[in-house]
Amino acid sequence: MSNILEVRNIHTYISQFHILEGVDVEVPKGGIVALLGRNGAGKTTTLKTIMGLTPPRSGEIIFDQEPVQGRPSYEIASLGIGFVPENRGIFRDLSVLENLKIAERKKGDLDRKSDFIFELFPDLQRLIKLPGTHLSGGQQQMLAVARALVPDNRLLLIDEPSEGLAPVIIEAMMEAIRRLSSETTVLLVEQNFIVASQLAQHYVIIEEGRSVQAGLMADLVHDKATIQRYLGAA
Amino acid sequence: MNAQTTGRFAWKSHIGFIVTVVGLAALPFIMAVMEGLPVGSLLANDSSTAKFLQGLLVEVFILAVFAISYDLVLGVTGLLSFGHGMFFAFGSYLTGVLLKTFGWPLWAVLVGAVVAGLFNALLFAVVLPRVKGITFALVTLGIASVFDILIRTQELNPYTGSDVGLQGIPRPDFLNPVDDRLRFYYVTLAFAILVYLIYKRFVDSPTGRVCVATRENENRALTIGFNTFYFKLAALMVAGITASLAGMFNTLYKPLVSPEIAGLGFTVEGLLMLLIGGIGTLSGAMIGAAILRLMEYYLSRWFGESSAFILGAIYVLIVMFLPYGIVGTWRLRRLDIAAGRQRLLSMFTGRQRETPDEGKL
Repeated sequence: MSNILEVRNIHTYISQFHILEGVDVEVPKGGIVALLGRNGAGKTTTLKTIMGLTPPRSGEIIFDQEPVQGRPSYEIASLGIGFVPENRGIFRDLSVLENLKIAERKKGDLDRKSDFIFELFPDLQRLIKLPGTHLSGGQQQMLAVARALVPDNRLLLIDEPSEGLAPVIIEAMMEAIRRLSSETTVLLVEQNFIVASQLAQHYVIIEEGRSVQAGLMADLVHDKATIQRYLGAA
Repeated sequence: MNAQTTGRFAWKSHIGFIVTVVGLAALPFIMAVMEGLPVGSLLANDSSTAKFLQGLLVEVFILAVFAISYDLVLGVTGLLSFGHGMFFAFGSYLTGVLLKTFGWPLWAVLVGAVVAGLFNALLFAVVLPRVKGITFALVTLGIASVFDILIRTQELNPYTGSDVGLQGIPRPDFLNPVDDRLRFYYVTLAFAILVYLIYKRFVDSPTGRVCVATRENENRALTIGFNTFYFKLAALMVAGITASLAGMFNTLYKPLVSPEIAGLGFTVEGLLMLLIGGIGTLSGAMIGAAILRLMEYYLSRWFGESSAFILGAIYVLIVMFLPYGIVGTWRLRRLDIAAGRQRLLSMFTGRQRETPDEGKL
């Protein structure tokens, strides 16, 4: 199976701090890859580096056979990478509809995708005219994911989708991500190992800015020692 | 939602604007009638309190355009510019110089003001990709300060009047506020209305929505796929042109152009207008300009030199009790009231109803 994304030995600095000290990630086409690791390991920075928000000083990022490192974020996004940042990255002063509309890359994107989006997140259809400030945390997270689905993205980078959500909302979010992965490849950052293990087929573990292990999620769930060592959960 | 409902909703949502426009259009006549003057006297441009008040409102309209242009840059797009007064001052001085020194006709002056607005916007845009936030504020303040110093230099005295300001500017026959105040009133009123409608359209357009998104979180807008530089540039250009045209009307109305308008004080005055009316609300900027100018006039008339103290106290009270400005706070309250009403409705009917247009794209 060919890879849609290949991250090769990237080194990223934020100010003078060396945050990523050699991260490799391979994302095969289709399905979900989970980026795992403790708090502060460099998972979010890896996603931001892929998106060009914290460009790498060295290393390669290949998206669908095309090197993208060093290119501005808007160009990387236009290639077909959707980014759902942590902390529900919605535009709070815009309505639900405007938040979705703004993500259109071609006229009519939203009309084409609205059935799929509202099937995944029926709440959003009910709240379509409400401003972002009036949405609950779960609704904001749904909107953030839905927004990334509006254009024809070939890869979605989703950062901590379950963070701060009630268990019932996490269930709904998991179901939505599982279903959308049938249409788009997903690179998921998830602190909650139970959530990640139920969603992803592949994993990459990041520890202190380095990718230390990668493989099939089905193997990792039985490897209690690795889970305990790198994720602190058994 | 059928077409009939849409039409009714649109009418309702614009009723405030329509009443304001009709009210302002009728105001000169209402003021004349209240003063006991015949309509003929108003049309004949006779001196009266009504004519004086027309002049005061002309100043309000011009300042309202300046304020709304600042709101587009600061409130809508989130560009912290401390040099916005320069856009207005440049248009004002250029108009004075072109009319007085070069004797240009009004249409050519108008074109000149538009070009000047674009030039200023591009000047600010040069630094846009490199600086953000407070650094952008300081750089724009620096550019505006250079302009302020330039117009005050003795070398340019024959053109700008240096510290005294530009005086003795000839007014075109068509638009002379001394000979025909009522015409000038309607032209500036039409200008302010037109600018408001264009701005509203701009902010509600996809380009305007990206400007709002850029203000909220530029990185998010970038990762959606927008090169935010072009959107900030668009906002600066629209604001630059309108502020420059407002400056042109300022020169046409006033007998002199004072260098005060090129200083930081004038930009801060614009900021106060936004704080009073509500940052990022457009209509709030215009309301803020009206309140500020009318308050300045009436407080100084009633309280003389103590008016500055009272004005300061009023600013503090507005910031304390209306933190989002008049329009901003009202909009928030309206949303809260609507949400409360819907909660109450759903309690009694058991029906979840979030908005009148729920479920519609």
